[in-house]
Amino acid sequence: MASFQVVKKAVSLGPTVRALPSGIPHAPLLNLAVRAPHDAHAHGHGVQPRSDVAPRWAGGASQVGSGLVSKTFSTIPPTINHQQRLMHTSVSLKNANETPDFSAYRHSNTDSNRALSYFMVGSMGVISASAAKSSISEFLQTMAASADVLALAKVEVELASIPEGKNVIIKWRGKPVFIRHRTQDEINEARTTDWKGLRDPESDDARVKKPEWLVMLGVCTHLGCVPIAGRIRKGPAPLNLEVPQYEFSEGDEKLVIG
Amino acid sequence: MALSNSLYNTFFKRNSVFVTTVFMGAFAFGIGFDTGVTKFYDSWNKGKQWKDIRHKYVEES
Repeated sequence: MASFQVVKKAVSLGPTVRALPSGIPHAPLLNLAVRAPHDAHAHGHGVQPRSDVAPRWAGGASQVGSGLVSKTFSTIPPTINHQQRLMHTSVSLKNANETPDFSAYRHSNTDSNRALSYFMVGSMGVISASAAKSSISEFLQTMAASADVLALAKVEVELASIPEGKNVIIKWRGKPVFIRHRTQDEINEARTTDWKGLRDPESDDARVKKPEWLVMLGVCTHLGCVPIAGRIRKGPAPLNLEVPQYEFSEGDEKLVIG
Repeated sequence: MALSNSLYNTFFKRNSVFVTTVFMGAFAFGIGFDTGVTKFYDSWNKGKQWKDIRHKYVEES
């Protein structure tokens, strides 16, 4: 076997010694895989394919058995990836989108940042809630009566100028208001009347705040007559004369209607 | 750090507490804002408003 190994060693021999009957030249010891010598002529590139050898996809010589076959491909086979490759063969990056690295700017303890963020959110809520509240209340205030209307809505009457047993008619909100300074007889009469038998039963105490002052709206509830008495005794009117809201002020010297 | 942590745990952690705080804060803020603006308005218009010059024209009876 050892002698056979020696024989298999590549030697410089004429490439064609003889031809086979098929016409293929017989080259039994030709080493087609031989490389350029690893010496200074390689220019430090290491072992390289020979520059005078055509690439394998273009064809080239190959040994078949002891024969030598040279092929030249007229069409180049398509390049097929037999191994699945990613976009690049370098080490895969964790940050594939290559966003900047902000870790140097990040705070190690995020508690204060969290508190500040929530504080800003809460401040926004506070401001917007108060804005909404004030918008709504301002809008509702536009529906309220204005100051001049409110000023017209009240009437002050000097009670000292009304003698006992006399009427005063004043205008309040476009309607006449009767103010009668009643005498004691009238008060007694109004109280002793059998008011439960009247059409609109209402006691005298319920109609006055002070018995000597009777304040009534001077529009007949039947809307057809000017009344004289405050309570309906007979006739078409369904109700007693309306009593407006009033109060005494400044030590009972003034009467404020409204 | 302790302040922000306690702030977070007191007000922000529970949404109910957070929202309540926001509304209470809105109420207080509204009152304070109104008071402050009125005060500023009065000081800015000092001597021009009726309540400042009323004593010149109206004698208290």
